[in-house]
Amino acid sequence: MPQPPATASIFDRDQPSAVLPADELMVQLQTRVRDRLRAELRRHGASEALDDPAILADVHRILQIAAERATPQALLLPEILGEPSEWRLDTAMRYQSHRGPFSGSLIVGLKRRLLMPVLRWLFEYSRDNFERQARVNQVLFSCVQELAIENAQLRAEMRRLSKSL
Amino acid sequence: MKLALVVHRYGTDIAGGSELEAREYAERLAANHDVTVLTSCARDYVTWANVYPAGASSSNGVHVQRFRVARRRRLKRFADLSDEVFAGSAPDSTEEAWFRENGPDVPGLLDHLRTRGSDYDLVLFWAYRYAPSYFGLPLVAERSVLIPTAEEDPAIELSVLREYFRKPAGLLFNTFEEQRLVTVRADAVVGPSAVTGIGIDPAVAPTPRQPLDELGLPADFVLYLGRVDRNKGADALAATFCGHLDQGGIETTLIFAGPATIPLPVHPRIRALGFVPNDVRDALLAHARALIVPSPYESLSIVLLEAWNRGIPALVNGRCAVLRGQVLRANGGLFYRSPLEFSEGLTYLLTHPEEAATLGRQGLAYVDREYRWPVVMERVEQLLRDVATRRARRDG
Repeated sequence: MPQPPATASIFDRDQPSAVLPADELMVQLQTRVRDRLRAELRRHGASEALDDPAILADVHRILQIAAERATPQALLLPEILGEPSEWRLDTAMRYQSHRGPFSGSLIVGLKRRLLMPVLRWLFEYSRDNFERQARVNQVLFSCVQELAIENAQLRAEMRRLSKSL
Repeated sequence: MKLALVVHRYGTDIAGGSELEAREYAERLAANHDVTVLTSCARDYVTWANVYPAGASSSNGVHVQRFRVARRRRLKRFADLSDEVFAGSAPDSTEEAWFRENGPDVPGLLDHLRTRGSDYDLVLFWAYRYAPSYFGLPLVAERSVLIPTAEEDPAIELSVLREYFRKPAGLLFNTFEEQRLVTVRADAVVGPSAVTGIGIDPAVAPTPRQPLDELGLPADFVLYLGRVDRNKGADALAATFCGHLDQGGIETTLIFAGPATIPLPVHPRIRALGFVPNDVRDALLAHARALIVPSPYESLSIVLLEAWNRGIPALVNGRCAVLRGQVLRANGGLFYRSPLEFSEGLTYLLTHPEEAATLGRQGLAYVDREYRWPVVMERVEQLLRDVATRRARRDG
């Protein structure tokens, strides 16, 4: 991956050290948040494996990375699922008619000029939810991908270790 | 040098980050160079309706050449195209159609670059996503400097950008995160570049509280400043803040100051002021306990720099790499990625006044060090000299 070129930037210079470093504060804050989260999850019946703070921190990290990498172009599952028109949520609404050219264009015109303005609130509500669902799908694809990668790496490591025994 | 600055809208009455940056640069560069701004006749970035007269004019000592917008934006067509291209795997021709629909469509400006572009030593382009930059830059690539104002939004993933970001002779970035984002998208070492951003004038202190008292605002408040818009995360902030209070979190008042495009929840701890005049804006910034910036997409948060300029700490959306990076580099506040982190961060800032003040002071020191106009413009001038020298050497 290419790195930014070494040209004039404020990051080329040494920054004075802070009296109160924000990154250290964030570590303390995030630890407190994970403690609260762990207690909440356990109270509602989540796996007791999460009693171990290190396990929760690891799980959190993996899911966080997956969520941040969830761009369509970075995902493998769409390739495996095949033709996008058969599985991808279509959030755009197109004005169509199956009738002939004249009556068809009349119906499309009526839909566009009369029906759509009346139904716009419903359209926008649905579209909003479709977009959220599409986003959640991408994040789930990415989580599965991240776990599959971890799994494949662990398998490779186990194979290597078993050979060395 | 003879410089042209290409920007989609231009004027003293135009709000908007990249437009403001273009105007500030133009007025300052005009002190040392022959500067012409090439822009549209539009004021409204949604419709691109022609408002300003076409032709030559002058604005604060800068020569401005305006070109008519050929057609208004077709919002339905643009929304449908956005859905198609952002889902990924759209062909290049569809992605290029997205840039055309995004507009503004100013054929006269592109003709001017085609026929007169070589009259300029350098041509600076603002905001890659708008048609004048996307279609104009390749016409004068060898003398172009791009200020991408790129954010981590879906548009940055468009595949045609890989080639596009390789074309400029130089680039000016607002933050290190933006520099990295564009370099990764180009998948190559891009032209010489610098991280510059925008300058902030020192705040006039002390700022009286009187305008806030006249509005009946409480002494203890945290501030959201800017357009109250979904794209800026304002609705998410209101929901997160209400959730924080419902869960028994520490109490304060959240003030939204800025023109609203969305309704906010009615809550005794939320005050929505709408557009505020400068004296109220200054007083809000001077007396807030903290500034909250919930925006998911930014190439540089100017309001964050303004808060630090007043020594106010910040709590920002950590899902936005730029905001997170700014806060960590400045040591000027905290960030959150979830409602729980928001609640913890807010509680910390409100219950640790000395530490909060230290974070604010560290933010101010960062602005003093990196974002005063002389510092910013020296970096800009250095990059322009560098690009011009390289071009002269190449041309023999």
